[in-house]
Amino acid sequence: MIPEHVALTELERDALTEIVNIGVSRAASSLRKMIGEQVLLTVPSVEVVSQRRAARLISEREVTDLVAVRQDFSGPFSGRALLIFPETNSLELVRAVTGGELTAEEVLEMEDEALAETGNVILNSCLATMANMLKRSLTMTIPEVLRGNGATLFEVDHGGEEGLVLFLYIDFAVRKRDIRGYIAMLMDIPSLETLKELLDEFIARVVGDDG
Amino acid sequence: MAERRAKDEQLRAVLAAAGASGSWDWEIATDRLFVDTRFAEVYGLDPAHLADGLPTSNFYSAIHPDDRPRIRIAVAGLLAGAEFFSKEFRVIDPSGNVLWMHGRGQSHWNEADEPVRFTGLLVDVTERKRAEEQLRIAQSAGGIGTFEYSDGFATVSVSHAFCRLLGLHPTDRLPVRTINAVQLEKGEPLIPCGGDAPMVDLLDGTFRIRRGDDGAERWIVRRGEIIRDSIGTGYRLLGAIYDITEAKRQEAELRALNETLEQRVEAAIAERQQAEEDLRQAQKMEAVGQLTGGIAHDFNNLLTIIMGSVDTARRRLDADADPRLRRSLDHAAKGAERAAALTHRLLAFSRRQPLNPRILEVPRLLAGMSDLLTRTITESVAIAIDVPDGLWQIEADPNQLENAILNLAVNARDAMPDGGALTIEARPRTFASAELPDDLRPGDYVAISVIDTGVGMEQATVAKIFDPFFTTKEVGKGTGLGLSMVYGFARQSGGAVTVESRLGIGTSVTLLLPRADALAEHEAAVVAATTEHGNANETILVVEDDDDVRAYTVGVLRELSYRVIEAHDGTSALRLLDKQDQPITLLITDVVMPHMSGNELAQTARERQPGLKVLYTSGYTRDAIMHDGRLDAGVELLAKPFTFEMLAGKVREVLDR
Repeated sequence: MIPEHVALTELERDALTEIVNIGVSRAASSLRKMIGEQVLLTVPSVEVVSQRRAARLISEREVTDLVAVRQDFSGPFSGRALLIFPETNSLELVRAVTGGELTAEEVLEMEDEALAETGNVILNSCLATMANMLKRSLTMTIPEVLRGNGATLFEVDHGGEEGLVLFLYIDFAVRKRDIRGYIAMLMDIPSLETLKELLDEFIARVVGDDG
Repeated sequence: MAERRAKDEQLRAVLAAAGASGSWDWEIATDRLFVDTRFAEVYGLDPAHLADGLPTSNFYSAIHPDDRPRIRIAVAGLLAGAEFFSKEFRVIDPSGNVLWMHGRGQSHWNEADEPVRFTGLLVDVTERKRAEEQLRIAQSAGGIGTFEYSDGFATVSVSHAFCRLLGLHPTDRLPVRTINAVQLEKGEPLIPCGGDAPMVDLLDGTFRIRRGDDGAERWIVRRGEIIRDSIGTGYRLLGAIYDITEAKRQEAELRALNETLEQRVEAAIAERQQAEEDLRQAQKMEAVGQLTGGIAHDFNNLLTIIMGSVDTARRRLDADADPRLRRSLDHAAKGAERAAALTHRLLAFSRRQPLNPRILEVPRLLAGMSDLLTRTITESVAIAIDVPDGLWQIEADPNQLENAILNLAVNARDAMPDGGALTIEARPRTFASAELPDDLRPGDYVAISVIDTGVGMEQATVAKIFDPFFTTKEVGKGTGLGLSMVYGFARQSGGAVTVESRLGIGTSVTLLLPRADALAEHEAAVVAATTEHGNANETILVVEDDDDVRAYTVGVLRELSYRVIEAHDGTSALRLLDKQDQPITLLITDVVMPHMSGNELAQTARERQPGLKVLYTSGYTRDAIMHDGRLDAGVELLAKPFTFEMLAGKVREVLDR
């Protein structure tokens, strides 16, 4: 169960979706420039779930192993951002990003590098936009590629106090390839509380008297 | 400027033709909003100011207050760098109507990736929205979820009802795999895609799923169409799903009910057939009984004549007569005796046998039966008779008791097809009121038990074994009357029958017969009487409608030195009685006679000559001189056929009493 005080209201979810959309729009723009092709990135929805639920959710939806690009962030709210693809999609993504001129072996060689770079663009844009829109600053670590299933990626087995996961679905369309992925931001409850406060501030600024 | 306006007019005309309800152009740098006349109409803005642009706050002015925050957030996203705007919201037009608008827009960036303009179209989707609302209500009311999947995509557009049906978190889009993962059986996927692409145009199918949220197993029906309206091989799947678990369950219930209905009907028919079979059996037995009784009556008369005549012939035979003649007469007598025994069995079988209870000693009776038992019971069954010394006497019909024990022994034998042990034991039992089987009176009883080590019976079978016609034997092997006769006999004799049986262990049937106080009559006394003769002072009136039987009877009695008078029916017998100078000592009368029965005759005769002794003869007694199958007290019966010695003995016994 998600504690009542960190559950997002509909408006907060709208705001966060919009902020992440700004982030992925920027990422799409960057990717377009990188590969010279149309790249569309949208985030249809956002939800806050427990770590365990996030692991179950992703295992339910993805039968194959997963590949993730991870970046930790810290600031007023801290946590770990993951860009997650089903493993079958990751080569597809690499091929899409590299433009299909590479041989299969080259793709395999380049996979981690290409994934890290793509992930960095997307996660960076999202986190930077969030920081920017919420008028705070965040620092981020360099990207790292991980492989595993839902449970290992969400560190369900680590015990201790269970954190929460901000779970975002993203749809990629690159060179007519459809690639689905997820952005997950693992945060502890205090961080999520801060995020919620910042979102409320953002909403108040934007909506003004209409709120 | 004029050029731009002309271009704008042109654009507006195109947009209007395209069904747009208005367009906007939000200049971010100047913070001005340019709208077309249609936009202004919907929003109720003064058309005079359109050319110079309006403050951007006008964008929200006509938006329904409830939708305004949402739209402000979305626009804020656009202004901050999001690319696309696609929102539905309500607008209140100048006349107060609420219109649903779909605003679709895009941000335009400069070289520095900074958003400079935000343009878009308003499309009136009120009707669509209403249709959607109707659809949504139809979906939730009807429990129908819809989906649309375009070939090549990884996700499916779904309705919330669709998600709820599959137990998934309500959303507008779901990955194909997520949907297909709820299926319990491999096979055709719920959403076919890629290599699973369907070749047919219809999407009908039934699927068993496990709901994502509660793990419940459900049956889902999918109906839909494959629409090939795009170029090439592309297609769209458009369909609906609904839950038929309840229908399936009811169907299964109905089927089960139908099946059990058949079973119930079968059982009822079987029961009825059984009842009909029982009835047929009963009618058969009744008919056989009638027939047997009738035959026995005539047959016994004939046997009386044959046995009597052979008897007489043997007695008249000289000592030096041809031994072959004596042998032939002996054979004839033996044959007649066998015929008499057969008739006796027929009568017992048809339950026409009167009970003739006597004081009995069970050990003697059982000892006398051992030969018969050994012959009846197969060698693979060991027979043991266990009777303690000094057992109480009982009062019962010895023939019937023998029959009952034999019956139980035969049942015991049949229960041990593979051999075993048969024990017949007798024990004294005293019952206090609390522990009485059936409605026995408290007191002393002799318990005669027939115990086998056979297959045993279930309790349900034990409960029924005394029912007439109930038999565990195959059709034709048993009459189903044996135990009911045993039971009837025990009850008639003031006793009871109890049964204990355990499957695989064996069965024990116990006859409880009341203890008798009087001393047992010794048959030796009867045998001793057979040689006694009469004298001419003793007048016997013989009444018999069968001339030959009468002649034989009279002949025997005269040979025994009695004075005998005879009559062929009751009326002439009464006349003779009246005419006699000296009283009649004994009336011997047949029971079954035309016009006046032996019983009626005896009653009338006794009115005229009180204390007259009466001896009935009969081959078949019916109820004429019996009550509840027992002879009335003081009534003496000589069963046909009878021999010289039997008649002599019985007559002497009655006269001397």
